[in-house]
Amino acid sequence: MLLLEGVEKRFGDLQVLAGVDLEVRKGEVVCVIGPSGSGKSTLLRCVNLLEPPEGGRIVLEGTEITAEEFEDGVDFVRRRVGMVFQQFNLFPHKNALENVMLAPRTVLGRSGEESRSRGEELLVRVGLSDKVDEYPERLSGGQQQRVAIARALAMDPHVMLFDEVTSALDPELVKEVLDVMRELAKEGMTMVVVTHEMGFAREVADRVAFMDGGVIVESGRPADVLESPKHERTKRFLGLVLEG
Amino acid sequence: MDRIIEQYFDLGVMFDPDNLDKVLQGFLVTLKLSIVAGILALLWGLLLAVLRQTPGRLSWVVRWPTIAYIDMLRGIPALLTILLVANSLGALAATDAVTGEGGVIPTWLGVPTWLGEPSPFWYGVFAITLTYGAYMAEVYRAGIEAVPGGQMEAARSLGMSYRTSMRHVIVPQAIRKVIPPLLNDYIALMKDTTLVSVIGLLEVVQVGRDIQSETLNSSALMLGAILFVLVTIPLARAVDWLITRQQAQFERGLP
Repeated sequence: MLLLEGVEKRFGDLQVLAGVDLEVRKGEVVCVIGPSGSGKSTLLRCVNLLEPPEGGRIVLEGTEITAEEFEDGVDFVRRRVGMVFQQFNLFPHKNALENVMLAPRTVLGRSGEESRSRGEELLVRVGLSDKVDEYPERLSGGQQQRVAIARALAMDPHVMLFDEVTSALDPELVKEVLDVMRELAKEGMTMVVVTHEMGFAREVADRVAFMDGGVIVESGRPADVLESPKHERTKRFLGLVLEG
Repeated sequence: MDRIIEQYFDLGVMFDPDNLDKVLQGFLVTLKLSIVAGILALLWGLLLAVLRQTPGRLSWVVRWPTIAYIDMLRGIPALLTILLVANSLGALAATDAVTGEGGVIPTWLGVPTWLGEPSPFWYGVFAITLTYGAYMAEVYRAGIEAVPGGQMEAARSLGMSYRTSMRHVIVPQAIRKVIPPLLNDYIALMKDTTLVSVIGLLEVVQVGRDIQSETLNSSALMLGAILFVLVTIPLARAVDWLITRQQAQFERGLP
């Protein structure tokens, strides 16, 4: 489904990704954990080409999106990959439903009626049937993030990327967002989740990848990586996280 | 004291039916000019601002001329721009008296009389639009740059093109942010339309000056000043109100 081979990215002198290999199979949920600055977010942003990778290759559904000659790479990827951000990034001048409807209408050319009924359906699915007409400023962080998930789902993505989607939330709002993601995983969505929620990773992930210094240090079944890590760096990180 | 009051507020001069009619007609021309030029400058400025932000490898082909234009027109006094536009267009449209060569631009453009307005009116519209488009472009630019980067990323990640993202996500938010400064520019634009009097347009200042030179009394001009203030002060208050409202939203931590 999604294959990364030796992906590299640098910002100036800083090597953020130093050759990342990762394979995500259809319907799989992969959680990426690691200290801040380890390159987790950059990795996600490379997958949907918000940051063009500088080395290595990324293959999505059998097509190499990083190939030089593949000019429509960006369109190809973004039609298939949805992304949810830490800061929600809802469009503040549009209400919840309009946020969800905008891309299907402008990109897929769907009729207003069609995208409206689908948008309402998605908002029901994320538990916001009563907030359809609300503007983002009137929604809590958790509600905004759920709208953002619905907005990404409206484009019928094959893969969903989650970039620390609960990190900007008050603790009591984290669960409602994770519940939606849990549900999504259960329905068979392919997901790459960058997260600090170890409980979520343990419970929902098919695989956990630990990143540090721009590489994936180790990956495997959640139980293996989280409970009996092989690498010193993984042990140290988990020690710090689980202590707190 | 009486002399001073008489010089500026001679009600006989001010409300002489003939004078009053002329002044009001003149102010109507001023209003028409500022509305037409104002709308065009708002659109022209937005186009310039968006062109100035063009991304991509070859974008300098568009960006540099746009920046040069904005810098030039902001650097040239509006009065000069008006004089450079007026009559020059007429001359370019005219047949050369010596060589008999036809005009280099069509007459409808060189001596425009659209909608029954005289050509000085349209020269004024061109010049004011050219100048204030440049000012407003800078205001829009500030608005576009004030939209958080995450907005463009979110739009792009949903598959929207750069253009679609600008149109549906960035520009609508940018405009909301810059309505107060745009209104300020609009007030300045309105006042600068009086400069068009130098090319013989019978707007409120020109009319007032004619009456002043006839009567040696400034009351007709003062009436023009009062009419201006009646329009600009409510606009200025509206700007204040909008700014206060935005400030309140900002303090509540809203976008």
